[in-house]
Amino acid sequence: MNKLKWITGLLLVPGLAHAHAEVGVAGGLISGFLHPINGLDHLVAMVAVGLWGAQLKNPAIWILPITFPVVMALGGLLGLAGVAIPGIELGIAVSALALGLAVALVLRPPLWVAATLVGVFAIFHGHAHGTELPSSANPLAYGVGFVVSTGLLHLCGILLGVLNQWRLGERMVRVLGGLIALLGAYFLGGVAGLV
Amino acid sequence: MRFYRWSGKLTLLLSLALPQYASAHLVSSRFGEFYSGFLHPLTTLIHLLPWVAFGLLAGSQKLALTRSALFVFPSAVFMGVFLGANLPQWQVMEQLNLFTFLAAVLTLIAVSLDKKIFIAMLALFGLCHGYANGYVQLVGLQLFLYAAGVTLAAYILMIVIAAVSHLLISRQTWGMIAVRALSSWIVAIGLMYGGYLLFSAAA
Repeated sequence: MNKLKWITGLLLVPGLAHAHAEVGVAGGLISGFLHPINGLDHLVAMVAVGLWGAQLKNPAIWILPITFPVVMALGGLLGLAGVAIPGIELGIAVSALALGLAVALVLRPPLWVAATLVGVFAIFHGHAHGTELPSSANPLAYGVGFVVSTGLLHLCGILLGVLNQWRLGERMVRVLGGLIALLGAYFLGGVAGLV
Repeated sequence: MRFYRWSGKLTLLLSLALPQYASAHLVSSRFGEFYSGFLHPLTTLIHLLPWVAFGLLAGSQKLALTRSALFVFPSAVFMGVFLGANLPQWQVMEQLNLFTFLAAVLTLIAVSLDKKIFIAMLALFGLCHGYANGYVQLVGLQLFLYAAGVTLAAYILMIVIAAVSHLLISRQTWGMIAVRALSSWIVAIGLMYGGYLLFSAAA
C-alpha cells in the first residue's frame, strides 16, 4: 500500500524527474531499449542465444551471452565507421534460422565453434544498430538501453532454458527453437523477396 | 511517556504555526554546492558507468585490494576535482575518461591485479574523473563542498558496488558470472560510445 502511495506521488510530479545533467537521456534510453524488442528478427535471435547456451550448459551458458554484446558492439563500430557489410539483413535472418535450428536439433558443437558462430551473427546485429546510433537523442544512453535490452533478452532465453531440466520442458525448448527457425526462414524469404 | 507525547504534538503545532523557519534549507544556502557535487556524477552516464566498472573491478579482486579501493578512489576523485577547478579546462580529459572503460575489460577477463598496479590505476582513473567533474566556477568553501559531494558519491558507489560484487563472488557460485556479464555490458557500451565519439569527430 505504501509503495502504491509513493508511485502515485511520483507519477503526479513528473517534472522533477527531468533534473538530469545530461540531455536526452530518457529518450535515448527508451529508444535504445526498445530497438531490439521492437525488431522481431533481433528479438528471436537474442533469445535463441540464451536458449542455446542453456542447452549447452556450463560454460556456454554464460560465454555465449557474454560474447554476443561485446562482438555486437564491434559490429556497431563498423556501422559507425561506415564500413559496408554486404547482406546485413540476410545475416540477421540467417542468424535466427541457424540459432533456432541449433536449439531445435540440440546441436552440441565444440565451445569455440558455438562462440564463433554467435560472434559472427552478433556482428550483423551490431552493424544494423550502429548505423542508427548517431541519430539518437543521446548516443550513450541509447547504447546503455540497447545493450541492457540485449542482455535481458539473453537472460529470457536462459531462464526459458531452465525447462531443460524436465523431459517435457526439453521438448518445449526444442519446439521453441523450431519456431524461431521458422521465423528465421520467413525473414529469409522476406530478404529474398518471396514473402 | 505522557510528556514526550505532548511535547511531540506541541512541536508539530509550532512548526505549522511558524512555517517561515522551514525555509531555512541548506540547499538554498551553502550546502547547495554539496548536493550539486553529489548528484553530478550519479546523473551523468559518462561518469556513472565507469564508476560502476571500477566497483566491479574492485569487488572481483582480493579483499585487501577491495578495501584499499574504498580509500584510494574517492581520495583521487577529491584531488581531481580541485585540479579540474584550478587548472585550465582540458577537454581531452573527457575523451581520456573513455579509457576508464578498460576497468570493465579487466573484470570481464577476470584478471587478478598486482596491488601496486591496481592502486596506481584506480588513482589515475579517479584523478581523471575528478578532473572532469571539476569544471566549476567555484572557489573556497563552495568548491570544498562541491568536491566533498563528488567524493561522497564516489565513496558510496564504490562501497556499494564493490561490496555487493565481492559478496556475490565469494558466496554464490554464479556470482563471478554475474559480475563478468555485467562488465561485458559496460565494455559493449564503452566500445559503442567510444566509436561514436571517434567517428563523429572524424566526420
